[in-house]
Amino acid sequence: MVTRNLSKRQIDLEIISEWVEPKSRVLDLGCGRGVLLQNLKSEKSIYGVGVDTDPIKINGCIKRGVNAYQGEIGGILKEFSDKTFDVVICSRTVQELINPANIIFEALRVGRAVMIGFVNHGYWVNRFNMVFKGNRVINDVYPQHWYESSPENPVTINEFELFCKESQIRIQRKVYLSGDWDTKLTFLPNLLSGYALYEIAL
Amino acid sequence: MTEIQIELDSDNLSKNIGLVKYVDFTSTETFIFEGGGSINGFTLRYETYGRLNDKKNNAILICHAISGDHHCAGKYTVEDRKPGWWDNMVGPGKAIDTNLFFVICSNCLGGCQGSTGPSSVDPGTGKPYRLDFPSLTIRDIVRAQNLLIEYLNLNELYCVVGGSMGGMQVLQWAIDYPDKVKRILPLASAARQSAQAIAFNEVGRCSIVQDPGWKEGNYSLGEGPSVGLSVARMMAHITYLSDKGMEIKFGRNRRKDTKGHHLTKIEFEVEGYLRYQGQAFINRFDANTYLYFSKAIDRFDLHGEAGKLEDILSKVQARALIIGFTSDWLYTPRQNREIVTALLRCGKNATYAEVDMDLGHDSFLIDAPELYNFVRSFLND
Repeated sequence: MVTRNLSKRQIDLEIISEWVEPKSRVLDLGCGRGVLLQNLKSEKSIYGVGVDTDPIKINGCIKRGVNAYQGEIGGILKEFSDKTFDVVICSRTVQELINPANIIFEALRVGRAVMIGFVNHGYWVNRFNMVFKGNRVINDVYPQHWYESSPENPVTINEFELFCKESQIRIQRKVYLSGDWDTKLTFLPNLLSGYALYEIAL
Repeated sequence: MTEIQIELDSDNLSKNIGLVKYVDFTSTETFIFEGGGSINGFTLRYETYGRLNDKKNNAILICHAISGDHHCAGKYTVEDRKPGWWDNMVGPGKAIDTNLFFVICSNCLGGCQGSTGPSSVDPGTGKPYRLDFPSLTIRDIVRAQNLLIEYLNLNELYCVVGGSMGGMQVLQWAIDYPDKVKRILPLASAARQSAQAIAFNEVGRCSIVQDPGWKEGNYSLGEGPSVGLSVARMMAHITYLSDKGMEIKFGRNRRKDTKGHHLTKIEFEVEGYLRYQGQAFINRFDANTYLYFSKAIDRFDLHGEAGKLEDILSKVQARALIIGFTSDWLYTPRQNREIVTALLRCGKNATYAEVDMDLGHDSFLIDAPELYNFVRSFLND
């Protein structure tokens, strides 16, 4: 289970690392222990700042020599002027936000591009669990049962892309990953993809 | 698992530093103050712990707060009742590890604990400076410390650390000596004194100067405005604590013999505590130094005339960890965050971490594993 989790984290990290240009200025919302930023720093010489509310995770960032800000995402975004960053990363964070649209627009203001990755709740296994078993999703991003997890906002590929279209947000790049998050796919993504990653801009 | 294991191990290994000695550094050159005025040389009292490495790149300077001094760790004699003021933080295997670092703690210029200040004798007149001591700023304090660092033959400081007024000095160090300072760690600090904090300082100053014993600053040594100074300290001490912290520590606990009609006897435990703090302070602190230090703090403002913190923080080269405390209402988390966001806007390497404790502004002095972890991670990354 641990290795599976690690490999899933890895592919997420790899795709984002591939997308980020060398020497960019990167803001990582929900940065955790700073693994992605440390990686980007050593591989692509970026200037990075992470944001997280959890002091234990901030301590992880400090250990890695990664800049981090302990506090709410909405609060720190207000502190930056337009296009302060080349990239704002929002990996596995949107589902936990109270008003995701606000944060996404703020991220688009502060960054030239925003990279968003999330678990697709339209994935057939997730639907099957709900419809036939009557259970909500439990997976690597949602490892906890409802009674031990923070409030979250399930989102599907179709819903996200519709939101972008209606909000006139440009999808510059996207990758759909299969159910095991191992391979990329293009066919019926809302049904067959377990995880989606986007680069969006205004 | 491994992380927890390592931390437990290092805690087990951490020891007290043992017996220490202070040293006096004397500069014979004329020192010109930022606000005008000069003195013919000065003395700074300091202590060092640990050993300087061959590359001379492991020195950490600790800056003290308004009522602090150079004695931050260890004891002078085995009979000493209390060790230095940051003994829980500084020592072999502790968060500021004297097995790894050469730690220097210097008393501030203007002080009254062995360094030159208003109570020192002016060699020109043979009398104490008293209010003829020039107006003092945080920058002056830092510049005097830098002369000590030069005397110690150090070209770089691995880190400058300090809380409260010490944190202000830390920020000033990074601004005035950007090539020398590699890391900064200000705790419970601010880029400028708030109106509320100035207000509290002003009550303290009024209390001192309205005490007849102050005599326009011309009191004799050993005398002075002891009532005014102790009331100033009592009031200031309240601002270093928090509502919740005081509730937990004292609540409404009463002394036993409080029956009957009286108005001035100690009735509640919190009263006894504050009176003790006030009394202890007059025995070790000079009232004029208190006036000078509190003014230096009030005048501290990195926002400058343009009101923009970035203008001055753009000079910083050091990597920064700024630590705020949730219950600190004197130098609030917001004021600590403001320093970090300004540094980040300048593209500097800065981190904001917050420790959630009930003890208010003085939280930075308290035994707290969360705080030690942040400090250790930053110094050892």
